[in-house]
Formats: sequence, C-alpha cells, structure tokens
Amino acid sequence: MSYFLVLLVFGLWSGTIYALVALGYTMVYGVLKLINFAHGDVMMVGTYVGYATALQWKARGATGRAWTPGMGQVLTIFFVSMALCAVLGWLVERFAYRPLREKPKLTALITAIGISFVISYGFQMEVGFLPGPAPRAFPPLLKETTWLSLRGGEVTLSNIQVISFAVALGLMAALQWLVFKTRFGRAMRAVSFDHRTAALLGIPVDRVIAGTFMIGSALAAGAGLLFALKDSQVDPLMGTQQGLKAFVAAVIGGIGNVPGAVVGALLLGVVEQLVVGYAASSWRDAVAFGFLIVVLLLRPEGLFGRVTAEKV
Amino acid sequence: MGPPALRGVLPVLLACAGLAVLQLLLGGLPFFVTLASMVGINVILAVSLNVVNGMTGQFSIGHAGFMAVGAYAAARVSMLLNEVAISGLPEAVSNQVLYAVALLAGGVAAAACGFVVGLPSLRLRGDYLAIVTLGFGEIVRVVIQNTPPQTSPGFWAMGGSLGLTDIPSGRSSLFSTWLWAFLVVLVARRIAESSHGRSLTAIREDEVAAEAMGVNTTAYKVRAFVVSSFFAGVAGGLFAHFYETISPGSFTYVRSMEIVVMVVAGGLGSTTGSIVAAVFLTLLPEGLRSGFLALGGQAAAQVAEQVRMPIYGVLLVVLMLARPQGLFGTRELWHRRKAKGAAP
Amino acid sequence: MSEPLLEARGATIQFGGLKALSEFSLVVRAGELQGLIGPNGAGKTTAFNVLTGVYAPTAGDVLVCGKRVNGKKPHQINRLGLARTFQNIRLFKSLSALDNVKVACLAETHPLFSRARIEALQQSALSPLATALDAANDYYDWWRALLLTPGFQREEEALTARARELLEVMGLSHRADEEARNLPYGEQRRLEIARALGTRPKVLLLDEPAAGMNTREKAELMVLIGQLRDRFGLGILVIEHDMKLVMGICERITVLDHGETIAFGTGAEVRANPKVVEAYLGDAPAPGTGGAA
Repeated sequence: MSYFLVLLVFGLWSGTIYALVALGYTMVYGVLKLINFAHGDVMMVGTYVGYATALQWKARGATGRAWTPGMGQVLTIFFVSMALCAVLGWLVERFAYRPLREKPKLTALITAIGISFVISYGFQMEVGFLPGPAPRAFPPLLKETTWLSLRGGEVTLSNIQVISFAVALGLMAALQWLVFKTRFGRAMRAVSFDHRTAALLGIPVDRVIAGTFMIGSALAAGAGLLFALKDSQVDPLMGTQQGLKAFVAAVIGGIGNVPGAVVGALLLGVVEQLVVGYAASSWRDAVAFGFLIVVLLLRPEGLFGRVTAEKV
Repeated sequence: MGPPALRGVLPVLLACAGLAVLQLLLGGLPFFVTLASMVGINVILAVSLNVVNGMTGQFSIGHAGFMAVGAYAAARVSMLLNEVAISGLPEAVSNQVLYAVALLAGGVAAAACGFVVGLPSLRLRGDYLAIVTLGFGEIVRVVIQNTPPQTSPGFWAMGGSLGLTDIPSGRSSLFSTWLWAFLVVLVARRIAESSHGRSLTAIREDEVAAEAMGVNTTAYKVRAFVVSSFFAGVAGGLFAHFYETISPGSFTYVRSMEIVVMVVAGGLGSTTGSIVAAVFLTLLPEGLRSGFLALGGQAAAQVAEQVRMPIYGVLLVVLMLARPQGLFGTRELWHRRKAKGAAP
Repeated sequence: MSEPLLEARGATIQFGGLKALSEFSLVVRAGELQGLIGPNGAGKTTAFNVLTGVYAPTAGDVLVCGKRVNGKKPHQINRLGLARTFQNIRLFKSLSALDNVKVACLAETHPLFSRARIEALQQSALSPLATALDAANDYYDWWRALLLTPGFQREEEALTARARELLEVMGLSHRADEEARNLPYGEQRRLEIARALGTRPKVLLLDEPAAGMNTREKAELMVLIGQLRDRFGLGILVIEHDMKLVMGICERITVLDHGETIAFGTGAEVRANPKVVEAYLGDAPAPGTGGAA
C-alpha cells in the first residue's frame, strides 16, 4: 500500500507539471484550433534560460558545489525564464502563425512542426551559445529535505515536491482567475468560440491571441523549471518528449477545455507512474499514447470535451 | 499504348527489362548502389505517404512506424527462412523468391497495422489522426524495445534495443529496390487517374460534399491508409535487407518527419513532386556531408549533420509562408499529355 | 398516385434545448416540384440536413423510397436515391468541372458479391459479414483499377461519357476541363446540380440554387429545373428565398418558421395565409414583392 502511495505522489507530482504545459496547448487550441507542436520546445528553452541564469550566479558566488540560491534569486530565475518565453511565444505567433490564420489548418500545423524542429534541433547543435545534445545537470535550487513523513517513513514528501505542487497549483489558480474573472479572460473565451464574431464585437482578436500565446509560454517555462528540479537535468529533447505527453493529456481531458487539461494531466501522471512502478520503466513512453488511443476509441471528444458539429 | 488487355502490365514488363539492364551495368559500383538504394527507399516512402497526406488530405505523421513494422516483419521472416531453399531452383533464384516473400510479409503486416490504426482514427477530426499516428510510431518503438534478443527462438525475438543484426545478406539489389519504387509510382498514378483517386481528392477538397455524393469517406480514407502503409512496410523490408541490420533507433519520429518534409516540399498531392523531393532531399544531405568531410574534416561533417534538421525546420516554415503548395502543387509530369487531348 | 420517393414523418431535431426542427412532415413523389420557404433561420437547411442524413432526427422518421433511413450515413442515403446541392457552394475546387461530376458518377461496377445479397445480409444478424463483403468488393475494385483491367477501362469510359452528358444538360460542356474554382458563380451553381444528378437520384434537394444570380439567370434556372424534372422523372424539393422563383415553378410549398411548419399548400394558398404574412412581415417585406427576406 505504501508503494502505491509513493507512486501516487510521484504521479501527481509529474501530473501537476504536465498540467502547466497542457494548459498552454489547450488554450492555444481553444483560440486558434491549432496544435502548437512547438509549445513543448518553448518549455525547453525556458528551462535552459533558467539553467543559464542559475549558472551565472553559481559561477560568481560559488564556494564549492554547495550553492543554494536565496529566495530572491530563485524568483528571479523563474521570472526571467517566464518572461523570455513569453516573448518567444509572441514572436512565433506573430511571424509564423498569424500570416497563416486564414489558410487551411494543415499549413499552420506543418509550420508548427517546422518551428519545433528549428528549436529542438537547433539547441542540439554545439555552435556558439547553443548547448548541444548532452543533458546537463540542473543545479538544485533548494536543498532537499523531507517535510512530511507517513507510515513510518515509507512514504515521504520532500520540500521540493511540496513547493512544486504549490507553485503549479498557484499558477493554475492564477490562470483560472484570469480566464473566468477578468475581461481578458472573457475575450479569450469569446475568441475561442468564434473569432470572426468576436472581431465584429470589437474584441481585439490579434492581441487576445498574442496574449494567449504569451501566457501559455510563460506557464510552460515555469513547468520546465519544475521538471528540471524534479529530474535534476535539462536536455534539448525534453520539450518534444514531455511536451508531447502534456499534449496527449490535454487531448484526454478534452482539447480546448481548461479544467479538462488539468484532470487529463493528473490522470496521465498517475497512470504513467503506476505502469512504471508495477510493470516496467521501459514501457513508460508508450503509456501516454496507449492511454490516448483508448480514450479516443471510447470518447473521442475527451473526458470534458464538447462534441462539435460542423455547420453544413 | 498497346491493346487494352495488356495496358495494365506492359509498363511493369518494360520496367523489369530496363532495370535488369541497369543492374548489369551499374550493380557493381558500391557508391552508386548505396545512394541509389537509399533514394529508391525514400521514393517509396514519400510517394506512399503522399497518397494519404497529399491525395486524401489527411495528416499522418507516423509513417516510420509502419516502416518499422515492415522492416522487422520482413527481417524476421527472412531470418527464419534463411536455411530454406526451394527445390528445383538455383540458390540465387530461390533466395530472391524468398526475399520477395519476406518483403510481401512486411508489406502485409504494415498494411494490417494501417487498418487497425486507421479504422478508429479516420472517423475523427483531422488533427487527431496526426496525434494517433505519431503515437503509433512511438508505441511500435517501445514495443520493439521490449522484445527478446534475436538469438531467442520464435518470431517475436526482435532484438530489443540492440536490434537485429543477422539479417541474411546478399538479397538486396538495385533491381528489386527500384522495381518496387516503380510499382509504387505506378500504383499512385493509377489510383490518381481512377475513380478512386477522384474520390480521394474529393474527400480532401470537401469531405461533407463527397459524403453527400455517395462517397463512403471513412472507408476510402482507410483504404488509402492501408495502401500507403503496405508500401511503407515494403520500404522497411528493403531497408532492412539493404543495411542488414536494424534497430528501433532507425525508425524514430525524426524519420517520419523527414518523409513529411519530402511530401510537403514536393507538393501535397503530386506524385512527381514526392519523387523529386525524395531524390533531392536524400542526395543533398549526403552530398553536403561528404563535401564538408572533404573540406573541413570530421568536425565540419558533424556540424553539417547537426544542422540538417534545423534547416529542414526552416525549410518547412519558409515553404508554408511563401509557397505552401510546394514545388509541384498538385500537378504531375504526365498532366501535360492530358491537356493536349490524348486519351486519359 | 405513385409511391412517395421521399417522406418525412414528424421529423424533429433538438440541439440541447433548441428545437431546430419540429414535427416536420413532407411527401415528395416522382414528377413533383415542391418548395420549402421561410424567413432566415427558420430551419430549412436543417430540414435538408435531416433528410440527407447529416443529422439524425431526435424524433420522427425519414424514409427514402419507402425505406427508413434514420441514422444512416449521408453516402448510404445518397445511394438510395437522394441527392442535394448546398447553400454555400461546396464544389471540389481543384478538380475540373468534368471531374466534379465524375466523382458523383460512381461506377456501375460488377461487384464480386452482389449488392442485393449484401443488403439482405445487412438486415440480418450477420451484418458484420455484410460489411466485410462490402469491403472485399471495394478492395477488388481497387485491384481492378491498379491492374487497369479492360472491364475497368470500359467502366471509366462509360462514366466519363455520362458525366459529359450531364454537363451538356446543364449547359457547361465548354467548361469541362476548367478547374471548378475558376468558374463564374452562376455556372458553379449549375455545376453543383450537374454533380448531384451524377448520383442517379430519384429525388433532388436544391438548397437556394438561385442565390446570387441575376434576374435573367434565375429565369433560365427556373426553366432548367422544370426540364430536369421532366427529363429524369425526378421529385424535386427547392429551398429558395426568391418568391417569384418559388411561386413560379413549385406546385406545392411548405413554409417553416422557427423550425415549425406554419403553412402548406399551393402558391396562392400560402401567399394568402395570414401566419405566413406575419412571419415574413416580422423582419422583411411581404412575400410576392421579390425582396430579400
């Protein structure tokens, strides 16, 4: 039983991080009906930015390997990453997706894949500031201590896990507030229903879409840093791998549906850990897609999705 | 051309003759054989993917998964039949017959997967197919990685992560590879010029209208998918016997995307475009790599190899922004004859 | 009185809380030309969509040539003899005009397993077998296409000839090899009708066939529709906004408003019906003035 609880905790941990990425996918799909294949790679960039920032401080102030940044520095790392990714997201939308908005969706999809390639493979090159394919150890931003101990020490919750939960949940709560309690959020929802009508009603569709991209990218950057904290490493392919799984989670929850993305991600995280724990870790990568195929066979619109009928 | 009864098979017979000559003349040049074989395999992959992505307008990005199924199936059949010889035939001929059997097995296995994957997903919205096919590719890779080593008995000993290295040698030839390439082009062209091809294009243009005009859209999409997967499987078999060793790493998402780039750059819907793009995008990276190797040594060659994928990415983006219809759009080299009033 | 080709019995469709179509009943027989009118949003295209299988009715029945088709897919209903055109033209843009019609002219092939036997099997408990036989027929047909068998070639030629004939009937022979998207608007609408005719329908549903045409084109179309009815012995149901067109050619007219049938009868009867006048006067000029509704 405690083994199960341990797996559950790990599952929820990765699940909350998947959720942050899944939200970006689902929001962009909601407003643009586009699968932003490049989203996971934006997350990867955010992680590297955080890595580089941390390294700066480590190099300057380090006394041996035991460097732990202060709260201010950790917050700065998060802020810098999220801000830079927001800009990156804006750039991608502005120059690659916006010109194709009225074109068939396939065109934008292919462009998204192209951008994903440029970013993920670009970062695998060993030229200039580009890091190259080898994974790098991400410096621990917190000293790991056990905060909670259950069942006589068999199930432990470390501070990293608790803080990660807290950060993820906090960001999700902030997003929830934004989408449902602010004017911008209302505009987002209007655009995702029908962007032509929204435009006719005076909503600045371009700015809403740009904003959606920026928010999604910032969240992804946060998620990337939390991943790095969890796995203690960064590598250029983490965007494609983890991002794809997060996307699957969004589809499972019902693509376009915000709470659905969270539920889907948590489910995926838990199921993945259970499979790894009870079967074998070599099956991990197949879990996400296997789960997806089962859901698509039984309930194609996702757990929370609406069945949309095309107007004939 | 020729009496109606023969029109069907005549091109194939002519191709066989032509390719036999080619084999005799150039079959002994290893450099040429290597390049030509790789080009041939990519032509088969691109043209077959074009049937689904181009003609039918669906979005499948897991072609490497079907290639993998075909490769492993053909390889295992070949390995298991290695000691077998057909009595009454010289060994070389017997080997070629069994090779053909292995290739067909690969194709059929891949086609069966295409059916199983296609039937549920082609009912869904377009973008879902992309995810499912991507997932299929990943699942195939993971399944193969969990198989027992090749020395184990039984058909399912696919070698795990290490792969299969004992694939019978000496089977692959320029003739067989290019004959299959010719066949896939012929099939693609015949589909395109038949009522089936028109129905597929109708589905691409407007699925609702096609359905209203009596076209069973789901069934057609599945058929296109099955045909496409069959040839991907054959390409996989050819690949396996050419390199004589395969592993899950040969069939990643990257390979799927390379084929997608070929189809998109050539023009979604144009078989000619897929061929041209396949040739170009197979030879160019090789050429660049060799060039860089000669000029700058190993380090430069490595950079050339690394920069290939980002350049593919840039190519895709630029294409979509500037010329989304690719090189040929939906036109074919053989369309010009039609416009002059010749019989279709 | 011949058998009804198309029949709706109390067909209803509900989207969530909204009843887009309520208790819709209609009978169309061979040689009849009927009209379906109503203000914008009345549910006319929805009715077409229910009749052609795009939506399955939530209540009531739809019958084509005597067979109940509730829940059947549009291509199956089309095979039973019902064809349609679309309010927003839905041609296969990159195909030529001839190819557009050819798509609809599904070949009269000689299948491996007879269609009648498959139909019979569908009704019985062995319906998966029927699906498998249907698929086998399909693959066999693909195989014949790939081998370019003489039989297949002959079928293609017959198909092409029939398509050319239909283009001629609609006055589009000169456009046969032109890409559909390059055709002028009026010709595109005629092409849609030619295409629908390719499926050898017994009933033709025309959704605003004259929209966007000028007066002369509309008059020509009126004549043409009547000719089609006579030449092919079809039953025709037309949705139209233009009252002159409807009153001019339709023998009987159904009037919808907010999904409900508010009137049915000849042109004169409908025009005099106070409910119809009210439905139209509510947002637009009265019927008979030819104004846009």
